[in-house]
Amino acid sequence: MADTPTSSAPAAPPGAASRLGWLALLPLTLFALALVELSHGGLPATLTLPWIPSLGIDLRFALDGLALQFVLLITGIGTMVMIYAGGYMVGVAQRTRLFVLLLLFMVAMLGSVTSDNLIVLFLFWELTSLTSFMLVGFKHEYESARRSAQQTLMVTAGGGLVLLAGLILLGDIASTFTISGLLASSDQWRDDPRVPAAVVLLIIGAFTKSAQLPFHFWLPNAMAAPTPVSAYLHSATMVKLGVYLLARLDPAFDSYALWQQILVPVGAATAAWAMLLTLRERDLKRILAWSTVSALGTLVMLVGLSGVGAATALGAFLLAHALYKAPLFFVAGNIDHCTGSRNIDHVSGLAPRMPWTAAAAALAAISMAGMPFSLGFVAKDLIDIAKAEGGVLFWVSYSSVFVNAITVAVAGVAAIRVFWHRGGDAIPGEVHEAGWSMRLPPLLLAALGITLGILPWIANPLIEATALSVNPATDFKGLTQAVDHIHALGAIALAAVLGMIVFTFWDRLHRISERGLARIDPVSAIAWYERLLAAIPASAGAVTRRLQNGRLTTAATTVLVFVSVLVALSLWLGRPLPMPEMMAPSLAVAGASLALIIASIAVCVIRTPFVMLLISGFVGLGSALLFLFLAAPDLALTQFAVEVAFVVVIAAILLRMRHLGLNPVDEPPVLPRALIAIGTSAVLMTLLLTATSGPQGSTLADFFAQASYLEAHGRNVVNVILVDFRAVDTLGEIAVLAIALLAALPLLALLRQRKNGKDGLA
Amino acid sequence: MSPRALILIVATRGLYPLMLLVSVWLLLRGHNAPGGGFIGGMIAVAATSLLAVANGADRALARLPLGALRLAAAGVLLSLFSGVPALFMDLPYMTHLWMTLPLGFTELKLSTVLLFDIGVFAAVWGALGGFCAQAIAIDEETA
Repeated sequence: MADTPTSSAPAAPPGAASRLGWLALLPLTLFALALVELSHGGLPATLTLPWIPSLGIDLRFALDGLALQFVLLITGIGTMVMIYAGGYMVGVAQRTRLFVLLLLFMVAMLGSVTSDNLIVLFLFWELTSLTSFMLVGFKHEYESARRSAQQTLMVTAGGGLVLLAGLILLGDIASTFTISGLLASSDQWRDDPRVPAAVVLLIIGAFTKSAQLPFHFWLPNAMAAPTPVSAYLHSATMVKLGVYLLARLDPAFDSYALWQQILVPVGAATAAWAMLLTLRERDLKRILAWSTVSALGTLVMLVGLSGVGAATALGAFLLAHALYKAPLFFVAGNIDHCTGSRNIDHVSGLAPRMPWTAAAAALAAISMAGMPFSLGFVAKDLIDIAKAEGGVLFWVSYSSVFVNAITVAVAGVAAIRVFWHRGGDAIPGEVHEAGWSMRLPPLLLAALGITLGILPWIANPLIEATALSVNPATDFKGLTQAVDHIHALGAIALAAVLGMIVFTFWDRLHRISERGLARIDPVSAIAWYERLLAAIPASAGAVTRRLQNGRLTTAATTVLVFVSVLVALSLWLGRPLPMPEMMAPSLAVAGASLALIIASIAVCVIRTPFVMLLISGFVGLGSALLFLFLAAPDLALTQFAVEVAFVVVIAAILLRMRHLGLNPVDEPPVLPRALIAIGTSAVLMTLLLTATSGPQGSTLADFFAQASYLEAHGRNVVNVILVDFRAVDTLGEIAVLAIALLAALPLLALLRQRKNGKDGLA
Repeated sequence: MSPRALILIVATRGLYPLMLLVSVWLLLRGHNAPGGGFIGGMIAVAATSLLAVANGADRALARLPLGALRLAAAGVLLSLFSGVPALFMDLPYMTHLWMTLPLGFTELKLSTVLLFDIGVFAAVWGALGGFCAQAIAIDEETA
């Protein structure tokens, strides 16, 4: 990732904004509608459109507190992102594509969080993965962007597959795919023995999306995307989808042991580990990305905690994090846009040149650090109460001190170091403040985070609705700045002090962590991911070389052995083999069969290709004769005609090979092949005997015999089935024939051409 | 197969049209008696192969109406469209329709089934006939 293009947007005149920014009116309208919905208290609202009723899949949408919070985040942050992108993307080629993808992503997100059907949720979930892939790869002319996009897709879409398995299993266990129905009936199915498997699959799916250990590595690499995308997808919305899913299902699993045992430790470990990795970065966006991973870990942990306070803390922290992290990404984007670098070694002392951006950064950082009079403070307090209540393991409590300290330090880096510190490279003289469309969004969001901190009761209805839908037992007391938990206040003070220390010694800690972490690089998750990625084509190649080595004998052996073993196993495991009734065959059938047997043995013995071909042709004609005696004239005719064509084609090829001096019959070890042949025939014979000895269902035969003339006006049942009852199948078959010719003709023509050229030379 | 076999060439002169006639006869009787588009088509393939062995693959290919690939494609298209008329009568695709033409001494049954079967015949003849003739061609002496 060293060669990430840091300077992403060309310099544009201040104040210039693309007219595409007006697209922000779309999410703004939705945002206003969602707010109206909240104030009317009409939750939960539902909408159902039948889609695939036979599978129990309906386009069912429900808007409850949790969904509404996400809708507000998606549309609210979305509005700001659109405005911001209008300024940020000025003069960038293909910027229309970015806006289209952003809107598409917004639809996918809204669908994901409002869907009340597991399968519909999955469809929208995958759509967010796809749009994320395209947005991360937006600057596709850079190899690093393409690699990051591929990584994003591999991790999130791969996790999506696991999620699909989990959702189907869950729907099967609960015998409904409706989320609300599933949650309501959870007491009846929670003891099903398949629930642990479903829980693990669902959690893996959610963890890939929300970048939890060990899938944490993709998120910072996704920073190859343009800044508006990073602010929107990779901090405020998409990466929280995993948290959303877990929170959505939490009412069913809240007291489920496995649920807690996975979510709490992994969430806490992710929060701590990501913070450690933060120290290693110099790129402001990547620093923010790791702190996002850490926040996601905290959110996952909150979902796992079982106390009543956890749901309130979850709701408050979701809102607080979006209101400080998105503006900080905007700030990083402004710095990048105006100075051409995001490296904290090169950028410093920008405040006099970019006062508005500096102000936005300061407001957001106060909330991020959890300082009093900010929403971050309220959320941190609630988190501490929830942890105390949830009875977490001791290391989880200690890790949160560490996480909080580095969070404070990261806030310091983003707000103080780059804006107020002197030193580093000299800033070029022409650096100036970004345009209004790039100043306003971070300022507004960060100011909202402070406003809600000072007047937290404004957010009460939203947080209460969220908490109630995550945990119906929530006893919501209203958000407040008045901390009644003296331990929490102490923890925040401790974090502030430790954070200032980390901030002061940031560069030294960076060197230490760089040296320490470099040592474990070979066993890191990203290294394993790279190894896995390299192993896929390698193993595919090995398998292909082994199975598709161009030798017909290998292919035939593989197919025959595989099929025989499979059939033999199913015969063995199936019902006991019945002995068929023996009947004396008619003289004609016996004669034809005897001729067939003799000819078949002869084919095996003779080594001259042409004689072999002729005798094998005789076997075919003998079979045709047998069919005729067994009252299947259609089959006999077909067999006869096919056999003729077969012999002609093979004869032509054999002749050609003889002219080229190739010997078509090489001398292989006979015994293994003979064994395979005998084994396959034995299995096939047993299969035939089993199939014909059981009671024959004659309904089908009766139906065709009846319907053939009455409905299809034909007496030849075989033909009627081919051209009428099963006409579409036949159509497919002749289409395959025509396509096969299309493929074979150029090859045959090439052979002919090559031969002519060769003969011409000779 | 350097010198052409004279007897084979002479015999083919009569056999080729005869085999094609048989193939068409099989095609037409197929709905009520053994036969049908596929079998008829295979007999026609045998006729084409015979012609290719006797008179050369290029001659045989030239005698295929429309040429091999187009014949096969036309067959698939004919079968494909034989199911379309049902759509105009609000019936599911591929519901076959029948009509009877009185001819005085006898009556002629016409149907979309016949169109479908002719399509199968043409597809088989074009695809396999073309393939067989081309396969035979790879060992021909160049003229």
